[in-house]
Amino acid sequence: MGRRVKVLLIGFGSVGRALAKVIALKRKIINSRYGILIDVVGVADSKGMALKAEGFDEYELLKLCEVPRSGVNLFKPYAHQGVDLNILYSNTQPDVHVELTPSEYTSGEPGLSNIMYAIDRGAHVVTANKAPLVLKYKEIVSRALSRGVRIKFRATVLGGTPFISTLTSMRSHDVERIEGILNATSNFILTEMHEKLVEFTDALKMAQALGIAEADPTLDIDGVDAAAKIVIISNILERPLKIEEINRESISRVSLRDIIDAVRQGYVIKSIASFDVRGGKASIRIAKIPRSELFAQINGVMNGVRIRSDATEVVFIGRGGGGIETAHSVLDDIVSLSFEDS
Amino acid sequence: MLGRRLCVVKIGGSLLRDSKSYIESAQKIREVFVENGYKAIIVVSAAKGVTDKLVQVAKGSQEALRHIVEKYLEVAKELNSVKVIKRVNEELKRLEIVAGAINRSGVDLSLYDFLLSFGERISKILLVGALEATGVNALELHADELIVTNETFSDASIDYISTSANLEKLYSSIVDSPTIPVIEGFIGSTIDGRITTLGRGGSDYTATAIASLLNIDRVYLVTDVDGIMTADPDIVENAKLVRTMSYRESLEASLHGAKRINPKAFEPLEKFYSSKLIIGSWSKFGTEIVKEIPRELWGPKVIMNRASQDMSYMAIVGEGTSSVQFIRNVLEIIDRNGIEILGLQSYVHRPSLLVYVSSTYELKTLHLLHKELFEGV
Ligand SMILES: NC(=O)c1ccc[n+]([C@@H]2O[C@H](COP(=O)([O-])OP(=O)(O)OC[C@H]3O[C@@H](n4cnc5c(N)ncnc54)[C@H](OP(=O)(O)O)[C@@H]3O)[C@@H](O)[C@H]2O)c1
Repeated sequence: MGRRVKVLLIGFGSVGRALAKVIALKRKIINSRYGILIDVVGVADSKGMALKAEGFDEYELLKLCEVPRSGVNLFKPYAHQGVDLNILYSNTQPDVHVELTPSEYTSGEPGLSNIMYAIDRGAHVVTANKAPLVLKYKEIVSRALSRGVRIKFRATVLGGTPFISTLTSMRSHDVERIEGILNATSNFILTEMHEKLVEFTDALKMAQALGIAEADPTLDIDGVDAAAKIVIISNILERPLKIEEINRESISRVSLRDIIDAVRQGYVIKSIASFDVRGGKASIRIAKIPRSELFAQINGVMNGVRIRSDATEVVFIGRGGGGIETAHSVLDDIVSLSFEDS
Repeated sequence: MLGRRLCVVKIGGSLLRDSKSYIESAQKIREVFVENGYKAIIVVSAAKGVTDKLVQVAKGSQEALRHIVEKYLEVAKELNSVKVIKRVNEELKRLEIVAGAINRSGVDLSLYDFLLSFGERISKILLVGALEATGVNALELHADELIVTNETFSDASIDYISTSANLEKLYSSIVDSPTIPVIEGFIGSTIDGRITTLGRGGSDYTATAIASLLNIDRVYLVTDVDGIMTADPDIVENAKLVRTMSYRESLEASLHGAKRINPKAFEPLEKFYSSKLIIGSWSKFGTEIVKEIPRELWGPKVIMNRASQDMSYMAIVGEGTSSVQFIRNVLEIIDRNGIEILGLQSYVHRPSLLVYVSSTYELKTLHLLHKELFEGV
């Protein structure tokens, strides 16, 4: 039996559930491969929490995924009404706090307070929620440093790929420019418009029907999500930008007419995020890309980014999001934190 | 497996008519399988009539949509569980969004299959709720995460290699837990996560694929009849149950339109592991379908009257029915009774004989051949 790592999942929506499922299916394998036994000891959503200090077994984790939204408080006999981190922490003494609450870019809440709380209680943090990092990157990282805990956030940018870990590890490089397609939802919508020749609103409807776009898709289509990712990247590269400094164009103003005109001239229309590292400038803009170029061929829910440094150019292509892919990135972070601890 | 015998049990839509029938099915699963020490993997179909209604929803029928919403909500309320009611409501809301989008986008095949998949998906939530209400630990599996298919929407074929990897991973993490897993039949998803459907009767295919990929010996196909009959009992009143058939015979019968089993269901059984199919109702499992039958069981198994273009024909299915001896026997019967036939068709490598007759003789020939071939001593 491996070393136990006790994990709390705060936020139990699509990523939280996918993570519970992936842990249920892979914890035995991870244990036999790496000697790390991941025990989920508590789960919370906006209405309630479920906790079990010994850790939920595989069956219970899968069963948890059957509760309706905001239904963790129905998970008998482990359920509590309302969320109280004090209760969760005192009863379970978690090693890792996983923050999967919605990204909210005005106050960063509830993610920001939750992460600070976790750090103060001496838990390592893994977050897929971008907002706390976007608003208070420095504060969070230095607080973690001073308390001797670490924070990982591989799921926040190109969550289906190891983009963040690669970028973080390119320590000897001078990264000059980062550019690409960073938002799966808007890329899907634009792809639909090109392939089916439909207007933006119909493509959006389709994305919502397939569960790719949220009921309120503003963060994705107006470029806020992509800008947030650029802010996180800028912090990793120690050239921090504020999200307000990034100029954004919304894909909602792209019409079918624009698409047809672009295609006639041999272009496709994409939403491109770019960060000129030296110049300290970034934007999310609607761009006409020649059809033969790489970014023109990244379609649907795929994302792609190019990192250019003084030494090399690297390209990442992969799923930007999706519950299962994101969950794997979160799990990778949990496993690597546990490694570093031993 | 811990002394528990594994089997796959498909619950057909004919058994899932109304709010009572989910509880009844759950009780039967408990009595017949759980209490007898079986660990059953349940494959569930949509409630009776729902898939047809979904097809109408795809064509824009609000009426059909209302019907589905009412039907499934009624079952959910009967189960009297907050969890189930909320879950079903969530799914119905999504169904409404998908229905709204499909009418705008015209025929988008992936959206169409996604729409059809709600019939099985909600049915599964209800059956799991019903099992729990009867005291059985049950667990939802998700066909869209486990059953990987190609991209032939509406008639997809299973990618056995990817599916088998998924099934094994899941299986090893739940085999020790005291739970009855329930999965939707009929649906799968492409490698990039778009939902597909397996074609009419696709739940059988789901069931045989799971059994053969996990080396499970028995697949129960539970419906509202006791098994496969020698002829349509609505037409031939002396029709009897067929005890044993081979895959080949059964496949041949389905190719001639016997509506019991989807022909694709035999593919995994031929390719991977030859599970035994057991067909029947809760009161009687009358028919077994096995890979091969011994010589002494050769002979005609079923007779069906069919029409192709403007000709009627009798299809007599069974190992040995394409032999010269059998054909001579049939011709003798026909000759003796003064029936005129329009043609005969048989190939040595196929277990069937087709007798073409004009439609005036159709029923007479059917009764006669059934009497002579199946009712003798
Ligand atoms: N989906 C992706 O592919 C993806 C990819 C990368 C990063 N992310 C990020 O990951 C995070 C989670 O995404 P998601 O798609 O799983 O979102 P989601 O489906 O909306 O789930 C959010 C969860 O957080 C819960 N929550 C809200 N307020 C809370 C509070 N005060 N305390 C505890 N829980 C609270 C919600 O509870 P209720 O269920 O009660 O509403 C819900 O369970 C987001 O920040 C998102 O930006 C997502």
